[in-house]
Amino acid sequence: MSTHTYKKFESSESGDLPDKMTIYQSCMSEFNESQINAKKCRLLIARLLRLLANGETFPETEATALFFSISKLFQHPNDSLRQAVYLAIKELSGISEDVLMATSSIMKDVQNGSDLVKPDAIRSLTAVLDESTAFSAERLLKSALVNKHPSISSAALCTSYHLLPIAETTVKRFANETQEAVVDLKPFPHKNIVGDYYPNSTFITQYHALGLLYQLKKNDKMALLKMIRQFSDNNMLKNQLAKVELVKLVNEVTTKDPQLFIDFQPLLNDWLSNKFESVQLETAKLITNFATRNSRLISSELFAAAITTLQSLLTVPRTSPKFAALRILNRISMVSPEKIVVCNPELESLINDSNRNISTYAITTLLKTGTAKNISSLISTITKFIHDVSDDFKIIIIDAIRSLSLNFPNEWKSIVNFLIDVLKNGEGGFKFKNNVVEALIDIVSFVPQAKETALENLCDFIEDCEFNEILVRILHLLGKEGPSTSTPSLYVRHIYNRVVLENSIIRSAAVISLSKFALSKNDSTLTESIISLLKRIANDQDDEVRDRATISLKFIDSARKSNNQEAQVFIESKYSYDLSALESKLATYISSDKDSFSTPFDVKAIRRFTEDEAKAMELRRKQDQFLKGNLENGRESTPGFTEESAIADSNENSNFSGPSLDDHEQDLLSTKYVDELMSIDQIKKFGSLVNSSKAVALTDPEAEFIVRGVKHLFKENVVFQFNITNTLTDTALDNVTLTCTPENPDESQLEELFTIPIVRLLPSEEGACYVAFSKSEEIVMENFLNTLTFTTRELNQETNEPFEGDEGFQDEYDIDSIFLNAGDYIKSSFVGDFSSTFDELPNEEVAVYNVKENISLQEIVDRLIVNTSCLPLESTQYASSDSNSHTLKLFGKSALKGSKIAVIVQLIKTSKGIAMKAQGRAEDVTLCADLVNGLM
Amino acid sequence: MSSLSLYSVQAVLILDSAGKRVYAKYYEPPHTGADKYKALSKSLKKQTEFEKQLFQKTHKQDSEVLIFEDHLVLYKEYLDVTLYLLGSMEENEIVLQQAFNAFKDSLDLILNSGIDKKNIQENYDMVLLAIDETIDDGIILETDPATIASRVTKPPSNDPQMDLDKGLLGAWGFAKSKLQERLQQGI
Repeated sequence: MSTHTYKKFESSESGDLPDKMTIYQSCMSEFNESQINAKKCRLLIARLLRLLANGETFPETEATALFFSISKLFQHPNDSLRQAVYLAIKELSGISEDVLMATSSIMKDVQNGSDLVKPDAIRSLTAVLDESTAFSAERLLKSALVNKHPSISSAALCTSYHLLPIAETTVKRFANETQEAVVDLKPFPHKNIVGDYYPNSTFITQYHALGLLYQLKKNDKMALLKMIRQFSDNNMLKNQLAKVELVKLVNEVTTKDPQLFIDFQPLLNDWLSNKFESVQLETAKLITNFATRNSRLISSELFAAAITTLQSLLTVPRTSPKFAALRILNRISMVSPEKIVVCNPELESLINDSNRNISTYAITTLLKTGTAKNISSLISTITKFIHDVSDDFKIIIIDAIRSLSLNFPNEWKSIVNFLIDVLKNGEGGFKFKNNVVEALIDIVSFVPQAKETALENLCDFIEDCEFNEILVRILHLLGKEGPSTSTPSLYVRHIYNRVVLENSIIRSAAVISLSKFALSKNDSTLTESIISLLKRIANDQDDEVRDRATISLKFIDSARKSNNQEAQVFIESKYSYDLSALESKLATYISSDKDSFSTPFDVKAIRRFTEDEAKAMELRRKQDQFLKGNLENGRESTPGFTEESAIADSNENSNFSGPSLDDHEQDLLSTKYVDELMSIDQIKKFGSLVNSSKAVALTDPEAEFIVRGVKHLFKENVVFQFNITNTLTDTALDNVTLTCTPENPDESQLEELFTIPIVRLLPSEEGACYVAFSKSEEIVMENFLNTLTFTTRELNQETNEPFEGDEGFQDEYDIDSIFLNAGDYIKSSFVGDFSSTFDELPNEEVAVYNVKENISLQEIVDRLIVNTSCLPLESTQYASSDSNSHTLKLFGKSALKGSKIAVIVQLIKTSKGIAMKAQGRAEDVTLCADLVNGLM
Repeated sequence: MSSLSLYSVQAVLILDSAGKRVYAKYYEPPHTGADKYKALSKSLKKQTEFEKQLFQKTHKQDSEVLIFEDHLVLYKEYLDVTLYLLGSMEENEIVLQQAFNAFKDSLDLILNSGIDKKNIQENYDMVLLAIDETIDDGIILETDPATIASRVTKPPSNDPQMDLDKGLLGAWGFAKSKLQERLQQGI
């Protein structure tokens, strides 16, 4: 121990940490002195604690020795030293052994200490007691709990709360005292105050008591209800934290039993105008959360009142209420943006708030409530400050803008300009730039009007882009979209620049991209120049680049000379494979035994999509994800989902990261259907499958036998697949068949061929029964009445076999009918410019419907989309709930012939029902007529 | 963890103007065993990294409240130190603000010449006591700054009895001699 180090920490100005060993040595000597110097000891303890707070730690033996010497300081009566001793005991108890030895000294203080040290002594009990000794503090804690001094009572309540996990039975005996502590108002005693402070009584003991009482009664619903009733009466609770706790209690109760909510509505309404902002906030949080889960059980007045409360919180000068209210509004905006449009003026005034967190939240919320009208003004506001915020905020904003671009394609100009601006002029890391580029790629794929502007600007961007990954993506995009633009040569120049200037990874991507321009129809002179460029590249120093250039040249050559289709396909791929199906097939192929390798892998069995179909699927996926993402985020704040919620909020911006698991499963499911069908010889004869519908439920989900139907369409046949689940636990079903009778047997154009029954369906198993029909090549639409027939057999629990001699008895079960409609002959497809495509189609058909059912526009829109299996375009799939009319635009292709069909449905909601006018145009007359006339 | 839990504060931090730790305490409900906060309260390395990033995020930003790595963070930047209080995402922001104000204002009361690094280091014992009287293992214990300050003792003076006597006697002696001088001069 040199004097040097000792001196160094003596002057605390240096700010350096004291030396660990020096402190240890001085503590050991000073604390064990016969005459204790209180001032010195407290100073030493402070230094020791400073070491510990900075992450230093002591080995167990040293910590125990320290703990032991510190507990000697209990002999000194000075309260000021005593407080420091308790701090040290709490900190050291985690790392030293034998902490129990301090218990008796502490207990003595709890009984006889001054009002100043008593609470500290009580609270330090948490650290020294364990499962076997906790009960010994029962009497002390109980009497402290009812003490009139608020600090003592609070200390006892907190300690009991901490001890709950290890001493439940002991703490449970405090229920009555705790109940009393909630009701009992304990003012802070004004006599005997040490310093010159004038404490205000906050009655925070109520909060601690309420928290503990909840823990003791949380499994008793009636007791909780009684608590709420009792404590919500006439200002029983003075402390605002306690009031917030009570609101949370209501939340807890109504989450478990939503039906109770109705009784609490008046109470909640009162709380919305409570004098404490925290109570207003918590109540508004409760109401809006509840509304997202159980919108039917909540009165619209109450919801509106909650929004008004939040709105008023937005205008308070303090930051945290504003922030809190914005967080809630932002959550609502993802689920039902129309409900918070009233707050728009307040939100707009917050855009320029000096607090970036607040302005970002305000903007993303506004963007979600945005309408076509105010988008461009919003974007110009954002442009002003986007360069000043951090990357994280930029990404959040970009994502909000990206979903806008899909919802309001007509606003593409301002959106694209904005994105280009941030891309070129914005400072930012890879994640941010990648997000911007992804947003632009989305626009290029789904907003054709914006395509060329966006592409040209991306070309400029790659001139000085530092991220390889982004460069490669853009090059690929240019290769895909460039050849079909009006001036392909422009892009060729930019791509070739990359070949000259960049590294080999980018060069190889650029080569492939270049080769796609060779067959561009818009500029036939290009071919020669591309070939000469590629020839030059073929001398590149990198193997991969050379290889790619050579093979591209070969393809181009054979595609031109011999009009070789195959080569052309290689250059410009017209379709892509169903990747998830390809993956699973390849995996099974590889894992099978070696013999099967003698037959080559048959890639034809994998579903292929043309570009339009792939785009349609992608758009639909994005739309779904947008909705789904919203719901997930909307759910985030509900208690019980605490774990996910944290993630959801931080990942708010990752909604678009890729296909979700569900989609993946959906894809695999359809591949599974194909496999199953093709394994049945009788069906295999029908040729290749043209289209499969989604599974439709034909029974209640609670029925004993759950049946779901899938319609498979072949060129001259139809197969109904019925997936039947047996939900009984002790009965097997034998010989399960379905009888499908046409609704009008006389006019039926379908001829039943065969039925493949399920031989035996064991409990909680699912099986498939097939019914096949032959049909003409034309489109045939028909309704079928279905009856499920089977023989039930009781099972022997032990063998899981039917009892011998049990004949079983035959039963019949009517299920919903299945409709073969025009929609089953259509695949959804994407088209960039809906209105001009619509006008170009030759055959028109109009039909008018009057829907008497009392349903919302959105419900009918959803139903139409499912029935037609078309893709809704121009984001017409969302009907706004405050308007009485809506126009839905649908586009698809015939599954049999690939001819286009477009439908515009105009909907008007009146008091009598919904009037609907469908206008369809198609290349195929009959399909058009069938679809338009069979919408509902 | 149920939203009704009293454990609403996850950490209290004091960082200096370079983002280095002056004080840090990560709370965890005692006697539960489970690592609820991804062991942030256990690993010093993670804590240091967390503090570094948090500081970068908040330094010279003056936004008072933000969400950082699944924590609700309230903070206040002073001349050369920043005070932080961390809570869970579900916690009521205004309740946390109450706790944070109690923490901040009680320091203001007990540190006579304002909140700065030197003052905090010189009166480390009092700062620790104030924090301990504000938050007990994550439970908000008291929200009134004056109540908290009144419960924080000043360090004991050295042998107070002797000091006082000596001082008074000395003063008395001094006064007496002065008086005598005056009287003599006057006469």
